[in-house]
Amino acid sequence: MKTSPQYRAARGAFELALALAALAYAGLHPHSAQLAYVGPGAGFAFLGSFLTLAAGFFLSVFSLFSWPFRMAWRAVRRRNGYRRARVKKIIFLGLDGLDPRLTERLMAEGKLPNLARLAAGGSYTRLRTTFPALSPVAWSTFATGVSPAKHNIFDFLERSLRSYLPQLSSARVGKPEHVLRLGRLRIPLSRTPVELRRKSQPFWKILARQGIGCTILRVPVTFPPEKFDGRLLSAMCTPDLKGTQGSFSQFTTRVAQAAYENGSRYPLRRLADGFAGEIEGPPDTFLEDAPALRIPFRIVRLNGAFELQVEGRRCALGPGEYTAWQRLKFRTVVGATATAIVRFLVTETEPEFSLYMTPLHLDPERPALPISHPPYYAAYLANLLGVYATVGMAEDTWALNEGAIDEDAFLRQAWDIYQEREAMFLNALENTRRGVVACVFDTSDRIQHMFYRRLGTAGPHADTIEEMYRRMDTLAGKAMAHAQDGTALFVLSDHGFCAFRRGVNINAWLRDNGYLHLKNGSRESGSFFEGVDWSRTRAYALGLGGFYLNLKGREALGVVERAEAEPLKREIIRKLAALRECDGDATPIRNVYATASLYRGPYLDAAPDFIVGYNEGYRCSWEGAVGKVTAQVIEPNQKAWSGDHCVDPALVPGVLFSNRKVQAADPGIEDLAPTALSLFGIEAPAWMEGKAFF
Amino acid sequence: MTVKLKKELSAKVAKAAKAAGYSSPEEFIEHVLEREVAKLADDQPGEEVMRRLRGLGYID
Repeated sequence: MKTSPQYRAARGAFELALALAALAYAGLHPHSAQLAYVGPGAGFAFLGSFLTLAAGFFLSVFSLFSWPFRMAWRAVRRRNGYRRARVKKIIFLGLDGLDPRLTERLMAEGKLPNLARLAAGGSYTRLRTTFPALSPVAWSTFATGVSPAKHNIFDFLERSLRSYLPQLSSARVGKPEHVLRLGRLRIPLSRTPVELRRKSQPFWKILARQGIGCTILRVPVTFPPEKFDGRLLSAMCTPDLKGTQGSFSQFTTRVAQAAYENGSRYPLRRLADGFAGEIEGPPDTFLEDAPALRIPFRIVRLNGAFELQVEGRRCALGPGEYTAWQRLKFRTVVGATATAIVRFLVTETEPEFSLYMTPLHLDPERPALPISHPPYYAAYLANLLGVYATVGMAEDTWALNEGAIDEDAFLRQAWDIYQEREAMFLNALENTRRGVVACVFDTSDRIQHMFYRRLGTAGPHADTIEEMYRRMDTLAGKAMAHAQDGTALFVLSDHGFCAFRRGVNINAWLRDNGYLHLKNGSRESGSFFEGVDWSRTRAYALGLGGFYLNLKGREALGVVERAEAEPLKREIIRKLAALRECDGDATPIRNVYATASLYRGPYLDAAPDFIVGYNEGYRCSWEGAVGKVTAQVIEPNQKAWSGDHCVDPALVPGVLFSNRKVQAADPGIEDLAPTALSLFGIEAPAWMEGKAFF
Repeated sequence: MTVKLKKELSAKVAKAAKAAGYSSPEEFIEHVLEREVAKLADDQPGEEVMRRLRGLGYID
């Protein structure tokens, strides 16, 4: 009988075995097991039902028994995969934004000896970038060997065809489909959907299918990570724990109102022996109104020094010195937790006290979202080398832009992140006997963005960019030391750099030329086209690279008939290219391109209809990029972010160094993917557009 | 979800995918379905959109 003691004992033993197996399965496949984790701003998911446990049990048993066979098969595949290889190993060292003009000048001055040696013994050439010249676009082309029309990344932002609102082009983090409502409680019963929007296939997936091992570190547009038989750590645009692209916090006694655009200011209460505050974390999505989770902290003054006390831990706060990474655990009403890592920096002590906190980076040891493949790889790196920044754009440029930290503090942060990345890269080089190691460093890009205005001056930080190039050269030297024996080395950048002095608001120009209309006779709009009269608007701009026709049958409120589109495009291109300022002396726009003439592919419909080739010194304005119509068409850029590359791609090619002779007539970033395949003796698929160098 | 296609359709899909420049027939099928599903999906509210873009260095 089912109620007999023997039955109950057997049932209990079975359930215990199932629970143990589920835990073992979670260890082998943590993301598949749907253990409790946080979707930033999007909810938590619990371990599911008995069926999930049962499935987990059988899968874990299968995994355990099949492991030796899978390992043997992998070894056979790898041996076969290398049989036509012309190299043992390929190293791709990506130095985001390394500019050829600066590189060539510094090489000529003898300041980049390693890159000069690499060029002399192998080759150096400028590397054609993408249309537009943006990192997510260019690195996606590097990975796939195709143009944006085939990989679907045309900008940082894309617009919704229904609402015209922007969204990140590279990844979507949604909300759980099924939620159980119990009074005020909201229990998510399904996983937070996370989707990579880059299409096509990266070369490392193709290599891995042939048994070629690949380690891919922080190559942009790899969040969430795709599954393949290799190792990958995600990069741009991995969010922080709040679900943003990295918003900082400032805790301060300053009473004056201050609203940060990309950070938050929180009050500090003065106490007899210091200050008290609260760290605001992600929303508690287990509750109906999803209040923000908070962690209280105290700052205690001890003998002239300061100590942070948070979650039972104490941490010394040296003015002007970042703390080490600190772990924060946000606990929800149901007891599930989400963990972040942050660093603190005291930025002033008297008469006001201010404490800067980095964005809430996902904790690599227990990330709330998938940031690596295999899922344990992020934790493995953290255990091996220490925890590290995980936000996609890790260097906090907005904290500097908005004055929450100064230039010295930004540089210290940027170089600390560089050290973390270098440790990962060198560890991968030391432990990779054959296969591919690809690693992208963002330091070069961020420092040029924030210090370009200092170039050529005599003041502070005049040498910051040059010093950065020297350190990149040292890094290249370290990579070269691992490229002695049948290893092909490529040191490349995705684009170059130039000054960003003047911002052009394309929406304002469209308004002035009768292509965009605002309601009620207004001349200006809010962000994201607030106030735009779509019934009379024929073109609109969003993002950094281009703008769109308001096409009938494509946009929800489109008015331009398909038959009118081509003549209208020609008219707009002719007029916009003629834009002048400063009494006709300055030409903000070098060229305007009809995107359909640039590339072909299945995702061309999602592309901007026009890509603007700004001249040096100009870029899309800050407001224009987010769909705001300002009074002026052209305004000065007054932010610390003073260098950029969102200009005519012909003006900002990247660099390509190799220890091999690259003799292509017009090498482009799309050529690296088929080159990698070719070096391992694999024919590039027909859909790849790049051409192998060798 | 696994969908089985008839042999004839599968062959046509493979041919169409290759001609259009997709990296695989699966990518082609996903794109077609995504386009249809997008017509029905709800957009995120503006405040949520703005919140998620905070911190992106290139825009204000």
